Amino acid sequence: MNLTIPPYLKKGDTIAITCPAGYMDAAKAITCISTLQSWGLHVVVGNTLGSSSKTYFSGTDAQRRDELQAMLNEPTIKAILCGRGGYGIGRIIDALDFSLYAQNPKWIIGFSDVTVLHSHIHTVLQCATLHAPMAAAFNKGNSTANAIASIKDALLGKKTTYTHTPHKYNITGKATGLLVGGNLSLIAHLIGTSSDIHTHGKILCLEDVGEQLYNIDRMLYQLKRAQKLENLAGLILGGFTDCKDTERPFGKKIDALIKDVLGDVTYPVAYHFPISHGRHNVAVKLGVTHTLTVTARQVQLKQL
Amino acid sequence: MQRKNFIQSILPLTALLTQSTGTLAQQTAIPTKPLTIPNYLQPGDCIGITCPAGYLTLDEVQPAVSKLTEWGYTIQLGSTVGTRYGSFAATDAERQQDLQAMLNSTTIKAILCGRGGYGCNRIIDGLSFTAFAKYPKWLIGFSDITLLHSHIHTQYNIATLHSKMCNSFLADWTKAEPAQLLSIESIHKALQGNTPMQYQCNAHASNKLGTATGVLVGGNLSILCSAIGTSSQLHTSGAILFLEEVGEYLYSIDRMLRTMQRSGALAHIKALIIGGFKHKPSEKPEEEFNETVVDIVLNITKEYNYPICFNFMVGHQKANDALKCGVPHTLLVSKQYVTLTEQLHTPKKKKNKL
Repeated sequence: MNLTIPPYLKKGDTIAITCPAGYMDAAKAITCISTLQSWGLHVVVGNTLGSSSKTYFSGTDAQRRDELQAMLNEPTIKAILCGRGGYGIGRIIDALDFSLYAQNPKWIIGFSDVTVLHSHIHTVLQCATLHAPMAAAFNKGNSTANAIASIKDALLGKKTTYTHTPHKYNITGKATGLLVGGNLSLIAHLIGTSSDIHTHGKILCLEDVGEQLYNIDRMLYQLKRAQKLENLAGLILGGFTDCKDTERPFGKKIDALIKDVLGDVTYPVAYHFPISHGRHNVAVKLGVTHTLTVTARQVQLKQL
Repeated sequence: MQRKNFIQSILPLTALLTQSTGTLAQQTAIPTKPLTIPNYLQPGDCIGITCPAGYLTLDEVQPAVSKLTEWGYTIQLGSTVGTRYGSFAATDAERQQDLQAMLNSTTIKAILCGRGGYGCNRIIDGLSFTAFAKYPKWLIGFSDITLLHSHIHTQYNIATLHSKMCNSFLADWTKAEPAQLLSIESIHKALQGNTPMQYQCNAHASNKLGTATGVLVGGNLSILCSAIGTSSQLHTSGAILFLEEVGEYLYSIDRMLRTMQRSGALAHIKALIIGGFKHKPSEKPEEEFNETVVDIVLNITKEYNYPICFNFMVGHQKANDALKCGVPHTLLVSKQYVTLTEQLHTPKKKKNKL
């Protein structure tokens, strides 16, 4: 049932950092680099990190594409950590050639805009990827210790199990399936494209940041109307961080909004799971079989 | 076991093949029905006003009622006009019922939406268009109403009217700018149907010149994007596509247009009309997106050779002329000006009879 799982990392393996989307100051990645080194990994850094770009992006589309392409192709690189998200992978995804990556899959790590890579790789190449915090998350105060430790555990091949507190809107139940998902905005924007993700029989996780409530509602309705929320094995709702409201208030808070869109689903649903743009953001392996168990007492997501 | 392995080994190949066409969702939404143009309005005909999305007060609807009455129409206010439920005009069930009653009514000849806002997507799957398809009438509005235009075009191939709504009618017309007056008058002209619609706007330095004829479709970019993969996804092949947007970040406009492009919606159109695109500036000025709307459009469409015009009189702005969606038009983009002209449409059935 699993997709292809790239080899886990060993001490001495090389991990590369690139910025395929927004600009990132090199100083913001220093703690990340030293932490990865302390795990025994060899770190190589692409030019897009701390680049001379003066634009929103870390480089031109061609520069960002070429760097990611080189890292995908390079056999000695065992994992690619995206420095940060922002916006931009949707501009280069169709120009990337995954043929060498498909022969020698490696871990692609990140979240937010990196959801485009996760979805595309899941659908087109059927390889597992790592939905996890990125470089700036390693800086003091940005993440829980658990979140950073979870990246190490995941990359070094430890099977992850996360437990979380219950929520009044949770729907109890137990389900097993491939874990898929990521940022709601990106998942919605990939519908109808070649990177669109098939969700039936899978455990879908969703998070978002800084969106208007009505827009979250609209995106969830798009997922619903596109049959993405039908026949799920389970649904994990992560953080919907810093939601905004319109001048004319939407009239519902985020959890009630989601509950309302879901209606009478019968699969297990967990709210406020620690996958988010906030400090609580644990590493989860997308494309890998997990069991989601939601009881009145706790939520557990266990990698099988 | 062997068969399973075989299937697994061919899966990546089929996935790559679908990637190369990349228009799976697009292929599911091809209108096969002949175009139906609802009857044009006669003096005395009844226009129903409903709020399928955001709320509108009774005071706010009055200027529209006055003007439509002045044009000789009678007005029927729906139960959702003047009520409020959060940001919505009423609950999903109430908005659906009000619109459904008007779709089904044999006395109402056109349905004007009070305003946009947000909410049509929450009720569209609960609506029945059976009676409407049998006795089509003009459905009028824009912004959130784009979803109705898109759904009706793709599913039923019935013409609809993309135009200003009740909240754009002024209480005091002496304060109106000429463009505003023209846009309001264009609704009257479109509903009368006596003469083909004609639009002329100024040339823009970045326009891509050319001429094209096709069915006019389009509307709000966000709404068209959020309809992708659903039964309301707009069929754009062979069409003149118009797009407008308001209050979105530039990066988001880029992302949405790329979604349109990646879903196949921009590859087979005959021409592209860009209306108003007042974007929202980035909250962090130092992180402002480095491309203008014109850059974004030209960049994403650079592989295509169809004419493109900017600053057309459609959008969340004073100049927002009534456009007949689903009806063939000819667009001419010249160095001096841009014109869009409605083509005379002769229904196929009538032709056969003759």
